[in-house]
Amino acid sequence: MKKIILLFVVCFICFNFANGQTDSSATTSGTDEAPNKAKGGATKFLLAGKATVSWTSANTTVTNPDGSTTTTRTNNFSPEALMLMPLVKINNKLFLDAQVEVDANPTGGGAAIKLNEMIIYYRFCPEASVFFGNFSPKYGIYMGVLDDFTNRYATNPIGMNRGPQTQTGIGVQGGVQAGYSKFNYQLYLSNGPQQVIDTTTMGNANLTGQLNYNNYQDNNRNKAVGGSIGFLPFSNSSLQMDVSGQYAAKTGADGTALDSIYPASSTSWAFDLNYYHVFSPVMVRVLAEYNQTTTQNYNYPFSTTDSSGHKSLVIPAFDNRLSGWFAGATVRPSGVESKFLSNLELGCRVGGYTPPKYTDAALANASPAVSPWGENSRTQTTVCLTYWFTWKTPLNFAYDVLTQKDAPTIKTFYTRLIFFF
Amino acid sequence: MKKINRITTLSATLIVIAIIATTLINGCKTPEAIASKSGAQLWGENCNRCHNAPDPTTYSDDQWDVTTEHMRQKALLTDVEITKIRTFLKSAN
Repeated sequence: MKKIILLFVVCFICFNFANGQTDSSATTSGTDEAPNKAKGGATKFLLAGKATVSWTSANTTVTNPDGSTTTTRTNNFSPEALMLMPLVKINNKLFLDAQVEVDANPTGGGAAIKLNEMIIYYRFCPEASVFFGNFSPKYGIYMGVLDDFTNRYATNPIGMNRGPQTQTGIGVQGGVQAGYSKFNYQLYLSNGPQQVIDTTTMGNANLTGQLNYNNYQDNNRNKAVGGSIGFLPFSNSSLQMDVSGQYAAKTGADGTALDSIYPASSTSWAFDLNYYHVFSPVMVRVLAEYNQTTTQNYNYPFSTTDSSGHKSLVIPAFDNRLSGWFAGATVRPSGVESKFLSNLELGCRVGGYTPPKYTDAALANASPAVSPWGENSRTQTTVCLTYWFTWKTPLNFAYDVLTQKDAPTIKTFYTRLIFFF
Repeated sequence: MKKINRITTLSATLIVIAIIATTLINGCKTPEAIASKSGAQLWGENCNRCHNAPDPTTYSDDQWDVTTEHMRQKALLTDVEITKIRTFLKSAN
């Protein structure tokens, strides 16, 4: 199914791109009209996108039992991804928005193509549009909004990849002026997340309890419901606060032997704020988000039997609740006379991630700490400097320190150039 | 505990709906200060919130038609805002 959809999108892009090479005004009318002024045809097409290249230098520091530290260093150039965004305005009501991403294979050679989004919008009134397709829900400030060249920190905030992700469904969204304030909203139904159930893998590699969102084929008849409400209280739109969430009554497959375990529900919610203002000559941005996902707590009684008939538990029971947060601010002297200085943006971000905890007290308080999926609590501090070559071509420098409880500290220096077109 | 969570969620939802309904009812009439905002002013206020405001000469008129429709859906701007911003951006061509 994924291949068919990808094939369709690629054909669509090629067809439109090929058509875009023809100057219809010159070949058909023979007039002196500029190509931009060609008459006829309500459909308007734009192939936007971005190319990302980076250089990463990472120091991983492990503290040994005797207190000494061991550091391993890596550094490499990487063509991260090429993203193509075919945007098609069919008429004043119908609009197609898609994203096809070509990721470089990290092990070298080849590439992976994936469909990030493919959404068809129908605007049925000025304040509302229906959308249908493969979409990124507005969850927190990051997902579906700032996961782009607008992320000035070069790295993604930790804990932001476990809530609702791109998924397939239908919804309605829009923006409304209400006096001096504004609201925007999104409400949707989607296939929802599918819970990973692994009855054989032992230890941290067992990802039972994690949720996969981008499912073209649902594993049950239940649909997830989600949405967000954004509130912009000030007339200059400088502050936006959002509450967003998603609820799926079932995350497991219907009719399976483990049906009593699989229907575990999942609830995600997030609060975020985005503040932007120019205190002449300095432009200030502040971002913050907290999110939490709770999957209904079941004991996963999976056991494996070895050749001697000994039974052992694959994974102990755990409270499947995780949370993430981050807060950051950037300043840019956009109003100073020096062009070089006005294109610089300096920022700092802190964040954290708290994984699920084992329900057994001995395991939950073990030292060194152990957590399901091998993810101990971690915090992230990022300092970044961005130079804007154009309004959509940022060169990011970022120094990122990831501190993990009873696990290696990772210090990484990133240089990233995004060419948005 | 589950019941308390459900009651809390339901209460929060009802409060949010009430706030929205009240504000919408009270705010049916857009104040003059908002209605008189120019496309240039809205362009500066809304675009800059997430990314740098684009140079109006970046795209052709048709391309601005497409781009602004994309931003209407991405940023959930109001119809009045996006119409004024589009007109302003096209005026540079």
